[in-house]
Amino acid sequence: MLSLNLFGKSKLTVIVGCGRLGSTLANQLSDAGKNVILIDQNEAAFRKLSPAYAGLMLTGDATDRATLNQAELNRADHLVIVTNNDNTNIMIAQLARECFRTPQIICRLYDPQRECVYREFGIQTLCPTRLSALAIERLLADCAAIPDGKQEGGY
Amino acid sequence: MKKRILIIGGYHKAQRLARSFLDKGYDVTAINKDPAHCQVLAQMRGLTVMTGDGSKPFVLEDAAAEQADIAIALTPRDDDNLVICQLCKKLFHIRKTVSLTASPEKVKFFYKMGIDSVVCALSTITSIVEQQAFLDEFTTLLPLSGGQLRISELRLPASSPVIGKTLGELQLSREVIIATILRADQPLVPHGDTRLAAQDVLILIAAARQEAAAVKVLTGR
Repeated sequence: MLSLNLFGKSKLTVIVGCGRLGSTLANQLSDAGKNVILIDQNEAAFRKLSPAYAGLMLTGDATDRATLNQAELNRADHLVIVTNNDNTNIMIAQLARECFRTPQIICRLYDPQRECVYREFGIQTLCPTRLSALAIERLLADCAAIPDGKQEGGY
Repeated sequence: MKKRILIIGGYHKAQRLARSFLDKGYDVTAINKDPAHCQVLAQMRGLTVMTGDGSKPFVLEDAAAEQADIAIALTPRDDDNLVICQLCKKLFHIRKTVSLTASPEKVKFFYKMGIDSVVCALSTITSIVEQQAFLDEFTTLLPLSGGQLRISELRLPASSPVIGKTLGELQLSREVIIATILRADQPLVPHGDTRLAAQDVLILIAAARQEAAAVKVLTGR
């Protein structure tokens, strides 16, 4: 069992999946002084973390309740699920909501078609395709607004 | 109208199930991710086969999931099976969903998530092997309410101490019922004055925790 007593009563975020998004987010939260536990099946995935990352790392299968117990999900305030498999993300989100009553659950889904089913489950979902499409649309609109302006910025 | 059954994933299991359902006159569609598996499945006469990921709504839609009466998820991954069954239920309003799960710990969770029937191959197989190893004249036919109650079959060996006794004389727990007796393959309705004979097959309905004691009374072992 990981010991987190040193964190006292401050808020805890558990992140599942240490890919590009998971590691970037973990680094950011850690830099901002937040308590983070990052879970990934593959220990080698943690090499993406910056040397300054001050959170905890846990190697294990997060679809397994034992792993979530070990990550002390029962006392987590936020759970962010960003593995590269939609179905895995969905199952972990439902496990967390049913068995751990995690207050806030955020889940990435690549396939926007599945989103409608899970939104009503009390799970916040975000879809990179939809976000990118919106962002591109905005960039296009900005470009149209400035006649032959120099294009800058991005998301 | 013919009942329509959708089988998603699985290869050998899908083949056996499809064969059996088709023989019983059901309308069966199989969805499989692997094109090679689909080719083999497609050789079965009468079976409709679709290649694709059954956890994607458009694949289910192509397979006319909204017209199916039963969906059975047989993929090797628990998360895929869960999502397939939930999509079938929520998007396509299929009345009955059946899912396989690899881990016994997830059975309860799957039921809680709205799947109508959850089968754990691992616990089913281990419990059968356990039964077989324990006594060969005794087999569980059907575990009920999560295995707490079981319907089982017991053949009385010639050495049994209860042969010649009436059912009323047996010292069985109140949680064990002899539902029927098969004598030379003919069913008998048991009464208190029915006398037991060697080679009688007893169909028992028993609380799992009383089963071993009942077997001991009936076989003397």
